Amino acid sequence: MNGWLAGKCVAIEGDSPAIVSAFEAAGATLVEDEADIWVHVAPPTATKPAHELTHTEWRASMDAGLDRRFLGAKDFAASCRARGQGGAVLFVGAPEQALGADQAAAAGALGNLTKTLGVEWARDGIRVNSILTHETGDTLGYIAAYIASDYAAYVTGAVMGITLDD
Amino acid sequence: MPVPAHHIVATPPPFDAPPYPVDIFAGHTVLVTGGGSGMGLAMAKAFAQGGANVVVMGRSIERAQEGAAEIAKLGVRTHAMSGDVRLPEAVAAAFDEAEEALGPIDLLANNAGANFPVLAEDISPNAWNAVTRIAIDGTFLCSTEYARRRIRAGKGGAIVNNSAQYVWTGFPGDAHSAAAKTAQATMTKKLAADWAPHGIRVNAIAAGFFPHASSTAGNREGGTEPLQNMIPAGRTGSIWEFGWLSAMTCTPIFGAMTGQVIVQDGGESLRRSLMMPDYVPPRERADGPWGWK
Repeated sequence: MNGWLAGKCVAIEGDSPAIVSAFEAAGATLVEDEADIWVHVAPPTATKPAHELTHTEWRASMDAGLDRRFLGAKDFAASCRARGQGGAVLFVGAPEQALGADQAAAAGALGNLTKTLGVEWARDGIRVNSILTHETGDTLGYIAAYIASDYAAYVTGAVMGITLDD
Repeated sequence: MPVPAHHIVATPPPFDAPPYPVDIFAGHTVLVTGGGSGMGLAMAKAFAQGGANVVVMGRSIERAQEGAAEIAKLGVRTHAMSGDVRLPEAVAAAFDEAEEALGPIDLLANNAGANFPVLAEDISPNAWNAVTRIAIDGTFLCSTEYARRRIRAGKGGAIVNNSAQYVWTGFPGDAHSAAAKTAQATMTKKLAADWAPHGIRVNAIAAGFFPHASSTAGNREGGTEPLQNMIPAGRTGSIWEFGWLSAMTCTPIFGAMTGQVIVQDGGESLRRSLMMPDYVPPRERADGPWGWK
């Protein structure tokens, strides 16, 4: 991985052992704040038919899959601007149609949010991308590390999957 | 207008710092269609930086040879040949020649394409056929020839297609390429599904503007400098970062990735505001940045 993230500080919110190990292997330092890269991994939601979802469950999915991601990215971007530095945001989660209607809504919203923030913050040097996938293993970690690195400096506002049914 | 000095522009590592080890493709041969110049040459060089031997196939043998000579400077074996990707017999013969020269083709990069801005009403049947069939039939014929050989040999593999940033938006003033490049992107997903059981991965890069010697806008008066501020990222792409991402999709590092179309365009294809600049029909903007006069 040729030191893709050497010298970079990364804050990872959410649970993905593959991403943590790939980022460490790529030379990144894991930090809580003042990061160069912010990764948010949303937990998978329960798969239920829409008419069986309570509003509380629906709201919890929107909060984790959309609202927290926007607010976290907003804070991260503000921190980058305050330091006069660019940065990279990476959202990771399940594909739009993989789980329930709550996921479909949250992931669709997130995809277009990704495209929006990628352009809105482009001249702050802040790139914003999403990986929406069923994959949880090594390839997820490596692609996440690559997209977060300067090797992907020309990738922003991109929403990608990994496996066939993503 | 130049990019204002207070804007921050993200830039990639330099060409001589590729993202993978120098031997990641060692012992493998890649066939790059249209690999003699432009984006195909960038793909070919990226594979060579990972140690792959490279077959350059092009319509012009001279250009293929020039490209191969540049690639060889990176320390790999090369073979240049001419061939027409629109003809199944020519494609089969090209694979035979390539395999005789450098051994089995382990990886395939479908880059061959033609493109020139033109009003839709001025596209002749010949021009339509040339642009669409090189990209659509060419990608199909080269990919299927490759896959049949890999399946017969009981080996997996990887294909990368050079698609374009305008595949989801249309491209007024370039109707033939708009159709052709989207066909490449959508067939990517289905070819990946068809060949997943055989361990052959298929991905595409939907590339933005990576200026090179033969790109239309790169030849404008004043070069590409005036174009930097038109792109959200604040710059046109560096052609080697396109080559790297293309080659990356074929590495075992991205071994589970297939059926994907990755947009690499500095945000260029995305909307910038609710209201856009004044609409000008293509025939009334011949002198614009993608004009043709």
